[in-house]
Amino acid sequence: MNGLSLTLSRGIARVTESALGRYQSALIRIGFSGTWLLFLLREFPHRREMYGPDGPWSWDLGRQLTDENHAFTALMWSGGGAWFEIFYVLAILATAALLLGWRTRTASVLFMVGVLSLQNRSVFMGDGGDNVLHLMAFYLVFTRCGQVWSLDARRADREAAARARGERVRPDRLGPALWAVLGLVLAGVSLTGRLFDNGWLVPSLLWTVWAVLGLWAVVRRRARSEEPRILLDVIANVLHNGALFVIMAEACLIYATAGWYKIQGSRWQDGTAVYYPLHLDYFSPWPALADLMSSSGTIMMAVTYGTVMVQVAFPFTLFNRRVKNVLLVLMMLEHAVIAVVLGLPFFSLAMITADAVFLPTSVLLLLGGWAARARERLVRRGRDEDPVLPAPRASEETAPGSAEERAPGHVGFSA
Amino acid sequence: MDAYDEDSHNRRGPDGSKGARLPESGTDGHEPPGAGGEGNGPSVTGAAADESPADDTERDESSAVRTDAHESSAVGTPANEQPPVDTDPVGGAEPAAPSRTGVAALSPRYQVGAAVALAAVAVAACVHLGMVFLSLAPANTVTKQHGKAIEEWVYPEFEQNWKLFAPNPLQQNIAVQVRAEVRTKDGDLRTTGWRDLSARDGAAIDGNLLPSHTQQNELRRAWDFLAATHGTDNRPVGLRGALSETYMRRIVTMRLYREDAIGRQGLVQRVQVRSRTTNVQPPVWSRERFSSKPVYRVLPWWTVTADEAAGGVA
Repeated sequence: MNGLSLTLSRGIARVTESALGRYQSALIRIGFSGTWLLFLLREFPHRREMYGPDGPWSWDLGRQLTDENHAFTALMWSGGGAWFEIFYVLAILATAALLLGWRTRTASVLFMVGVLSLQNRSVFMGDGGDNVLHLMAFYLVFTRCGQVWSLDARRADREAAARARGERVRPDRLGPALWAVLGLVLAGVSLTGRLFDNGWLVPSLLWTVWAVLGLWAVVRRRARSEEPRILLDVIANVLHNGALFVIMAEACLIYATAGWYKIQGSRWQDGTAVYYPLHLDYFSPWPALADLMSSSGTIMMAVTYGTVMVQVAFPFTLFNRRVKNVLLVLMMLEHAVIAVVLGLPFFSLAMITADAVFLPTSVLLLLGGWAARARERLVRRGRDEDPVLPAPRASEETAPGSAEERAPGHVGFSA
Repeated sequence: MDAYDEDSHNRRGPDGSKGARLPESGTDGHEPPGAGGEGNGPSVTGAAADESPADDTERDESSAVRTDAHESSAVGTPANEQPPVDTDPVGGAEPAAPSRTGVAALSPRYQVGAAVALAAVAVAACVHLGMVFLSLAPANTVTKQHGKAIEEWVYPEFEQNWKLFAPNPLQQNIAVQVRAEVRTKDGDLRTTGWRDLSARDGAAIDGNLLPSHTQQNELRRAWDFLAATHGTDNRPVGLRGALSETYMRRIVTMRLYREDAIGRQGLVQRVQVRSRTTNVQPPVWSRERFSSKPVYRVLPWWTVTADEAAGGVA
């Protein structure tokens, strides 16, 4: 009994005192927003045909369908071409902000608004990849996915370093301004009856996040006692951990559904299933490659059976670290192949990102190290023309500006 | 705005000092995590157990150390409220604050709030996953009884379909073809030949590392939508049937204007769509053979609106 309560208290401590999987959540933030950013840029020339008011799925058709299914889309707020163009650009900017981890929580909400709005505007344009992004965009809002590998984290590091040196940190002006602007926008679309005219889930989420962000800022600055701040921190951790769990479970549901339904199919049983998609006109960008891959019945059968086994087995392998990692590598490889051979790059990228939430932290730290070194090398190459500047790593810790400010800041503080 | 991130990130810095520091709730001899949890019973147990997949990915992070530190405090070593000055030799007044986290740092009054949040999140996550699971599962006794509730929860934002190439992959190429009736400048009515729009999509996808959704999904899914909302008599069923017809009509009209420059021949009056379904021939090593004869499904002529006829799509 005592053991149980100890386990329980340890578990509660873990899910309340910190946001678990900091690197995993940062990686999926980068992965999903990166996938969507590439997609938005790739489809930029086709944006009007896909989501514009005069596209085949016209604004009027969209209206009739969303009136029926109550899906959220900001593109229904106005049927004008200008609103659509502005929205598309804003969606790109919000996605880039999330990718970089700039004002991460706000960016994640705007990212979600962009993904849901565009996809719900033209539901018949998407495929499985869009579906993954749709769900994950919603779940990401609840995570603290900017704790590492983000501009927010870098800013926090710098502020902490400045505080440690005893400097006064300038209060954040941009955050409150952004908050005020978004509040005005929300109020505007609410008062004109647009926000809540179709479903309540997403609109109320928008208002809730806005209110909580305001509350958070007030509590951090004004509260006399520490406890309100800690309570909010605990709630944010709990939400993050819950959302991360849902994201992981969602990935398992995807594989389980895909796998278990395949078992029932005669083509998956006779070992020819993989052959057919390779020979569909819509999924064969490299017919010669597809023919080469499917020239051996034995290989096709092995791939067919292997796919089903891996998909069905994956959720259960989570209980064994080593087996899980082997399967992860296999699934990522398969998706990388699918990206090229079936011509589904964005779907594959989204799925690889979903897989990546299960990668061990040690691997992510390794990847992060490589990325940082690659970036350093790039920066150094860029600065070779100006050899007077110090090494980039050092300059990041103590930017030239802050070094100058150090002395007066210190004096000001101790006074 | 995004203070979430700053704050918890700061924690990394003073982490070392944190092991020695004890949560203030120890002062009243209260055992924080146990007490907070037991009151909540099974739902909290569920949450703790459910998080186990995350454990795996998290094992090598500092949180493990933190948990240990926390545990030792739970044994109940009394400690006075420590001014943060001790931990910060530079003399920082406010900044040391973020080092306190978790329920253990809260007084019982606030712990209730944390417990409520924990329970609410655990319940919401489990209910949500249960609903999604049921929406994905085959029809069963539970979905028969509660189908409405499940649908209301899942649709529209959590709708999903992962029967990817399952139970069986599509084994037919379905091409959408179109012909048009054009009023020429001389006033004659001319009917064009059939044009295979899907073949053009296929050609655009060939050798393409980044196929566009307009090439890969637009026509393909529009046809699926149309086929799913039309009876065998090719008449539309319900609102969606009508929507799918308008959608298909607009797609083919747009493409006729864009790709065939049909506007030069005159004004499109009507369009007719048909599908051409051919079996993918089974692999030679399977020793199966299917008919290679295409099957056509011809839809009735549709009148094009004046707006569409003027090239008003996209």
